[in-house]
Amino acid sequence: MTAWLAPDSLEEALDLRAERGAEATVLAGGTFLGILMNQGFLVPDTLLSLGRIPALDGIEVVDGELRLGAMATHRAVERSAAVREGWPVLARAFSLVASPRVRNQATVGGVMADADYASDPPAVLAALGARVVLRSARGERAVGVGDLIQGYYETCIAEDELLVQVRVPPSPGRAVYRKFRSRSSEDRPCVAVAAVRGAAGLRVVVGAVAERPQELPDVCALADTSLPDFELAAEIGRRYSEGIEPMSDSRGSAGYRRKVIAAEVRRAVEALA
Amino acid sequence: MKVELVLNERPAALECEADEMVLEVLRREGLTSVRATCGIGICGACTVLLDGEPVSGCLLLATQAAGRELTTVEGLPAEHPVPRAFEAEHAFQCGWCTPGMVLTAKRLIEETPQPTDEQIAEGLGGNLCRCGCYVKIRAAVKRAAAA
Amino acid sequence: MRLVHYSQDAGLDGMWHAAFVRSPVPHGRVCSVDVSALPPDCVALLPQDTAALGRYGCQLKDQRVLADPARFVGDIVAAVAAPTRSRARAAAQAVGVDFDELPAVFDPLAAVAEGAPLLHPESGASAQDKVSIGVRPLPGTNVCHRFRLFNGDVESGFAASAVVVEETFRTASAQHAPMEPHATVARWTEDGRLEVTTGTQTPFNLRDDLAGALGLEPERVRVIAPPMGGSFGAKTFTRLEAIVACLARKAGRPVQAVLDRGEEFVTLNRHPAVVRVRIGAEPDGTLVAKQLDCWADTGAYADCGPGVATKMGYAGVGPYRIPHVRVDALAVYTNLPPNGAFRGYGATQSVWASERAMDLLAERLDMSPLELRRRNLLRDGDRFATGEVMRDVHFEECLQSAADAVDYEDDPRGKGLCVLLKGMQTPSRAAISVERTPVGYVIRSASCEMGQGIRDSLRLQGAALLGCEPGQIEVPDPDTDSSPFDTRTTSSRSTYMMGRALADAVRDLEAGGGERGYGEIANEGGLDPDTGQGIASTHWHQGAAAAQVRVDEDTGRVTVERLHAAVYAGRVVDRAGAELQNEGSMIMGLGTALLESIEHADGQITNANLSDYSVPALGDVPAEMTHELIERDGAEVHGLGETALPPVPAAIGNALASLGVGLAELPMTAERVLEALEARDRQAAGAAV
Repeated sequence: MTAWLAPDSLEEALDLRAERGAEATVLAGGTFLGILMNQGFLVPDTLLSLGRIPALDGIEVVDGELRLGAMATHRAVERSAAVREGWPVLARAFSLVASPRVRNQATVGGVMADADYASDPPAVLAALGARVVLRSARGERAVGVGDLIQGYYETCIAEDELLVQVRVPPSPGRAVYRKFRSRSSEDRPCVAVAAVRGAAGLRVVVGAVAERPQELPDVCALADTSLPDFELAAEIGRRYSEGIEPMSDSRGSAGYRRKVIAAEVRRAVEALA
Repeated sequence: MKVELVLNERPAALECEADEMVLEVLRREGLTSVRATCGIGICGACTVLLDGEPVSGCLLLATQAAGRELTTVEGLPAEHPVPRAFEAEHAFQCGWCTPGMVLTAKRLIEETPQPTDEQIAEGLGGNLCRCGCYVKIRAAVKRAAAA
Repeated sequence: MRLVHYSQDAGLDGMWHAAFVRSPVPHGRVCSVDVSALPPDCVALLPQDTAALGRYGCQLKDQRVLADPARFVGDIVAAVAAPTRSRARAAAQAVGVDFDELPAVFDPLAAVAEGAPLLHPESGASAQDKVSIGVRPLPGTNVCHRFRLFNGDVESGFAASAVVVEETFRTASAQHAPMEPHATVARWTEDGRLEVTTGTQTPFNLRDDLAGALGLEPERVRVIAPPMGGSFGAKTFTRLEAIVACLARKAGRPVQAVLDRGEEFVTLNRHPAVVRVRIGAEPDGTLVAKQLDCWADTGAYADCGPGVATKMGYAGVGPYRIPHVRVDALAVYTNLPPNGAFRGYGATQSVWASERAMDLLAERLDMSPLELRRRNLLRDGDRFATGEVMRDVHFEECLQSAADAVDYEDDPRGKGLCVLLKGMQTPSRAAISVERTPVGYVIRSASCEMGQGIRDSLRLQGAALLGCEPGQIEVPDPDTDSSPFDTRTTSSRSTYMMGRALADAVRDLEAGGGERGYGEIANEGGLDPDTGQGIASTHWHQGAAAAQVRVDEDTGRVTVERLHAAVYAGRVVDRAGAELQNEGSMIMGLGTALLESIEHADGQITNANLSDYSVPALGDVPAEMTHELIERDGAEVHGLGETALPPVPAAIGNALASLGVGLAELPMTAERVLEALEARDRQAAGAAV
């Protein structure tokens, strides 16, 4: 029989986390957990729900920085006036996830903590320079997306930590998110590209092709000298294609992904011109 | 454990385990419109409305619905425009996906009163119909929107 | 809102739930079954419980209630029943099975090669196990059926041809993926009768198989068939029913089995096929000779593989006048889940090959693919390759409708055509009864509802014949205790056959005083499996499709901009129902063409869920999708539940071919299209040098 814990404060939740560690499975929206439970991959001893913690689902802008509460749903991010105005690429990326049903339930914290390679938000948040706030009874730390996601479904979140917020710096300038589906219109991404261009230069992150979002800063540095034209965009695409070791799954082989990476990165960079 | 909520506009106290999904619990209550189909939240045949918004009944723990409102098609009034439009357009064959389609369409029309084909494809894309009734389903949504 | 009740919605008092112990190896003898860890309150069905039971199968008796040896990953070797589904599943996991692994084979060509492991050395591929004289197993091989057709002399035909084109085509396996999973409840009555309530298209076949397996007279078995949440062929013949019946008997209480989605992928799938086409023509495009070699992978058990291979064989000839034809179609065992009836029943695989080959031929002849087809299409009075004379033939109209829908004759670039014939189950028998009730009538028919609308069709036809409103007619679920015999609900035959039987029954009712009537119709015929001669079909399902496509040359992604199917309906009974069948068939065809393929690694299905296996969603419907139901005054009803599926992949394939993207394998994934684009561009670059 599964036990149910539903703390009504973050402090209580963190105490429980410290006490139970991996024994208590954290429940945010529950979409990913639900899949694992339905397939019989997970039979939780205890569920630790974050659903009753007040203000964990907030979306606000503080000093120009966007702060997404861990329990904010994808739908809330998609629709937030603040996000649409200040970080439209983020609203778009969240709006492309799965279906309205999934977006009504799945959360910002959940998608980041799940570290599912075929998710949309991580690549875009990485490209925007987002940092993820991890809290424990010991204190708080903020890590970049690249440090958060360690491997397939693997993060750096300690057993006594909870992901409580995602912070996104002011949007640098132009940004685009491309989600390439190789099969049906409802397919998960085969190749996803988030590209951002601002004063600090070009940043391109490729998702859905490997266990972690892929970024090649040295390649992006090619764009620092001038506005990308078609040839430069193609060159960046080509180098990304060569510089990434993609994986194979039902949406495409590694070889196919390489080819699509070249095209989609090129298109993303062209769109920022 | 007992989960108290409002089910189809009536207060209810549902007996369930902590690890049971809304799908199982509602079927136990005799609400057979909610159907176990893919187990991974992809197909939409187990769609229920949680505070009026569609969610997958197979992925929502019953405990998560505590204090909230759940709606299934059994809770819609007999002459609700959306099921009526589905009937008028004959937007179904085997009927298995229809409750999920109806609830999702209901919410879509509430949010987007005059949905375009693209908005319908986006809004209902997560509801699979293997019989392939999509053309008539789209027509039913437009008809309901115009009603 | 009116809700349909499916077989899993009815619970019986004291009912327990079944779970299955499945083989993790593709081929292996069961050495031991360890139930020491089984929880106390459950019942296990073990090999010793079923070893003495009879073999069964709809065309070859090669199946046992529990498998030994296991012949595919997922083959059921034991089963448990427990008070709840989750406890049954936990109990099934507690059963330990040891296997003595045997070599396995996963490809039909490899399975017929020298030295291939034999799946059924002692049974199955043997004359004793045939259910009908139409089945031709080759003993000592993995071939459970060979269908051949000879007409004229192909060797001299090819010698006389100005142009000969040959190509080998492949079609992947697919999953029907009905939204409702398989569900069955079995209970034994106090006097020892078996009652099975199950989603099935074939209640009488099932009854006979169960009776044979359990050693009962058929009258001691009752099959009730509630409406299904889709089937498309998945819920045919014996699937779970024998095991669940045995569990119920051992448990002394009713037992229900409902599969989860992953299990659906190891229950019944579509025949993957390799089809080699060789076709010869005169310089003006007149067809002279055609040879078709088919290898239909029927998986671990024959199921209706022989029928599918036969249909694949003759449908692959196409709706054409060809003086010299040879067909050799094999149904071959492999260590994969069994393949069986799937909407299209073999036609999809051979129409893909045959119609793509026509476009290859057109290219060689420097001729329009439309013109090539027109020149050779069968007309009324022509003989088909089976020797039968064609009548009520409308291939040209179907083809023209398709061509017009995409303005093919204005500009064929990016567009493709396909025209096909397929047959209707012949021979077959349909019987029906009508009785007056206080409010109207009750029509008893064993035609099973799976969304195709047969009940509505019977109500409409009945109302017209009886002079009442459709709402006054009750059509209860098929029940072998009270429904008259019907061969089965497959092959798009029900509206036609049951409709004729109904007319007969109403005549009987009127002649007999108006209280009750009975009608029975049989269509005779069949093909000699060694020569392919006879009557394949009392009338023909005829259709055509056209597609217009656009390709993203950087990713290979195909967008179907326009898709049209024209189907000869003869006479439409239920217009909305007929439209839905056309639209549904086309969308399923789109899935076959571009999206769907069951993947495996060493026999283990690797994409057994609806995320990794991609089926069409609303957004995949082409921007312009249309269809036509062609009718003629005084014509017979022509079934159309499947006709618009097989032409869709070939039409799309031919559209891509017109852009230089020639594909021979389904599905036409973006990856394959991209490779073909690269090959095209390399060739063009090479030619330019």
